[in-house]
Parts: sequence; structure tokens; C-alpha cells
Amino acid sequence: MEENQIQSDALGGTDQEIEELTGMARDEAIIAQQERIQNEIKENNPLVSQTYPINVLCEEYLDDPVYKAKIDDLSMQYSHIRKTRGDGNCFFRAFGFAYLERLLTDKKELSRFKAAAEISKDQLVSLGFPSFTITDFHETFMEVIQQVEKQPVLDELVDTFRDQGISDYIVVYLRLLTSGQLQKEAEFYKNFIEGERTVKEFCRREVEPMARESDHIHIIALTSALGVGVRVVYLDRGDGGKVIPHDFPEGCSPQVILLYRPGHYDVLYPLKGS
Amino acid sequence: MSTPARRRLMRDFRKLQEDPPAGVSGAPSENNIMIWNAVIFGPADTPFEDGTFKLMIEFTEEYPNKPPNVRFISKMFHPNVYADGGICLDILQNRWSPTYDVSAILTSIQSLLDEPNPNSPANSQAAQLYQENRREYEKKVAAICEQSWQNL
Repeated sequence: MEENQIQSDALGGTDQEIEELTGMARDEAIIAQQERIQNEIKENNPLVSQTYPINVLCEEYLDDPVYKAKIDDLSMQYSHIRKTRGDGNCFFRAFGFAYLERLLTDKKELSRFKAAAEISKDQLVSLGFPSFTITDFHETFMEVIQQVEKQPVLDELVDTFRDQGISDYIVVYLRLLTSGQLQKEAEFYKNFIEGERTVKEFCRREVEPMARESDHIHIIALTSALGVGVRVVYLDRGDGGKVIPHDFPEGCSPQVILLYRPGHYDVLYPLKGS
Repeated sequence: MSTPARRRLMRDFRKLQEDPPAGVSGAPSENNIMIWNAVIFGPADTPFEDGTFKLMIEFTEEYPNKPPNVRFISKMFHPNVYADGGICLDILQNRWSPTYDVSAILTSIQSLLDEPNPNSPANSQAAQLYQENRREYEKKVAAICEQSWQNL
């Protein structure tokens, strides 16, 4: 099944009806149509999907030799992909899911991470974040880690990440940790922020609000805040016919592997034995 | 049914009762926790002093990840408040952060009263008078303050 495509003919008739409307009625019809499209994306794309074999990607790039060659290359090293919904939070959601999935079977890393996550709230509060609201997100975040500890079952984790309320709380907390790291090391990160904005201003506009897309700077900050290495594999139109991996931080042994296509992150699973 | 939004709104309410900020108050409506009524008292030593302004706050299940919709129910005369009571304030739009709560929203609106931003006018007459004829501006504000007592 192709998940990311919206059934265009399902909306076709509505377009014509809108053409015939004027003024307020037309505005309302357009808003209603946008809501229907949003709802279709929601219905057809769970926040995190099941896993698919890599070649499911080919369906999205029929007649596109550049992508086809690169998908072939990708399948030499990776067996599966787990898709995330394209809602502007995909990096944080994909990262959060992939890392917690790893913790299902890595007890040592789990206990390191749990201890670090436990004290992260006080660190954020000491950076000036409001304790009252931080506590709310932190509690949910810790509940999910406890769930991973007590019930290390993949299906349970998938359900948790598909529950919009909990899933978004995890995303918010990861965004706050990213913001905290950027502000803690503001002297360093200010060099990577375009324009005249301060690090704090950047965090308020580009990091903390939901649905703001992630860039390298978000990835670098989050991976160093958590001490977790991430490999991002780039699948795009660039020359060379091969997908290009990039590790954050450089030289790490990655615990999470993500696929990047322009504007979107999904989770990748390596071939067994590679 | 408890959702993160509803759980969080209960907490916001509890915090407002236990640790109320000066000059603002708010509570969920009787039968719907997603719709709140709030009151902001005009700050002392400003043209809004003695005004008691009612607001309505509508939350969605996406709160606190998305801001609520906030508007004045009482008549308002202010450069950043639209005729329908809607408020032009960055933290309620593109600078919203999930770390804000109801108390932060209400205190931000309270400080907006005496610190308008004439660069993004929602009421052009108010913005113009604020910049060009402060005396007339204050007269108009005094009038809506007085009106605000009649509709309590």
C-alpha cells in the first residue's frame, strides 16, 4: 500500500464544487477541504508505520533513475524502513522511536539513559525553563522510559508512538532538550545560526514550537544532549549514484539510523549481519 | 476521558488557584474544561487601571503543543486587539512554546495592555492615536475601562 499519496480523485469533485462558490462560502469550503486533506494524511499515515522492505521506496519514484539507483544502493546495507508522518516533527519522532526501540534490548544503555533523563529536568529548570510546564512533559517522558523498562515489547512501543497525545509529548520533551543544549552551549552554536537572531530567539522560533522542521543544528544539539550517536543516510538528487551516510557526532558508533529524503526523516534498519 | 490536554488543563487550573499571578484570574467553564473564562485587571498606573476585562480561552486537544484561541469578551480599545476581541500577540501565534501555561498567557496579555506593539496594528485607529495623540487615546481607553464594570 502506498501511504504517502493522497487519493487525488477522492478530492477531485470537491475542487469543482468550490469553483462554483463565491465569497465566504468559498473560503469555508477551502478550509473544509484543507481539513479533509489533513485528515486524509492522518488516516493514511500513522505517526509511525509498521516496517516495510526497502524496495517499497521504489513505488514513490517510478520512472526516476537517479532515485532507483540510490534505492538499490540503500538496499545493499539496509533491509527495512519504518515511515513517520510528515508533520514537521518527523526527525524527533523517528529519532525517539528508533532510540527507544534499541533500548528494548539494550539494558545497559537503558539504565544509563534513564539516569540521564531523570536529571535532565533539573538541568532544564536551571537553564531558566519554567518548572511547572517542564515537569508535565518530563513525567510523560519518564513514564515511556519506564514502560520500555518494564514491558520491553515492540508492539507496545509502536502503540505508544501512535497515541498522538503521548507521542507529541515525547516530541516536545526532545525539542526542549535540544533547546536546552543550544542555550547551554550558546557561544558555540551562535556561529551556526543564520541572520541576526540570538540562540534564544532561534530556539523559541525554530526548536520549541511543534511542527518546525529540523536542521543539522537540531540533530547536533540533541545527539550531544543525550550522548546518543545518529547516522543519517541521505537519499536525494545529488550525483554519485550512492546514498551518503553522515554520522552525528562524527566518528561515533551510531545507535540510531535515519533515512533523510529532502524534508523528511524515516527510520532505517540495517541488514542482519552488516 | 483523560487526555494529555485535559490532564494539563486541570494542572493549569490547580496552579492558578494555588499560585495566582497578580491581576489575572481564570477557570474552566462549568461543563467544558476546554473553554475557560478569564479576567484581567488593568495594571495600576496605566490608562487601563481599574478596568476589569473578560476573556474567553478556547483550547483544543493539541494544547499545550498548540496555543489556545484567546479573545476579549469585554470591549477593548488597544492597538493589538481586533474589533471581535481577537488578540495579535506573537506568543499566541508563531512564537508559541509548549512551555507556556494559562498563567503565562494571561500575564503576557496583561503586560501587552500597557506595552502595545504599534508595528502590527489590529486596530488602526487605536494604533494611530497611541502614536500621535496619546491624550485622546487615554480618553478612549478610560471609556472602555468604565464600560467594563457594567458588564461584570
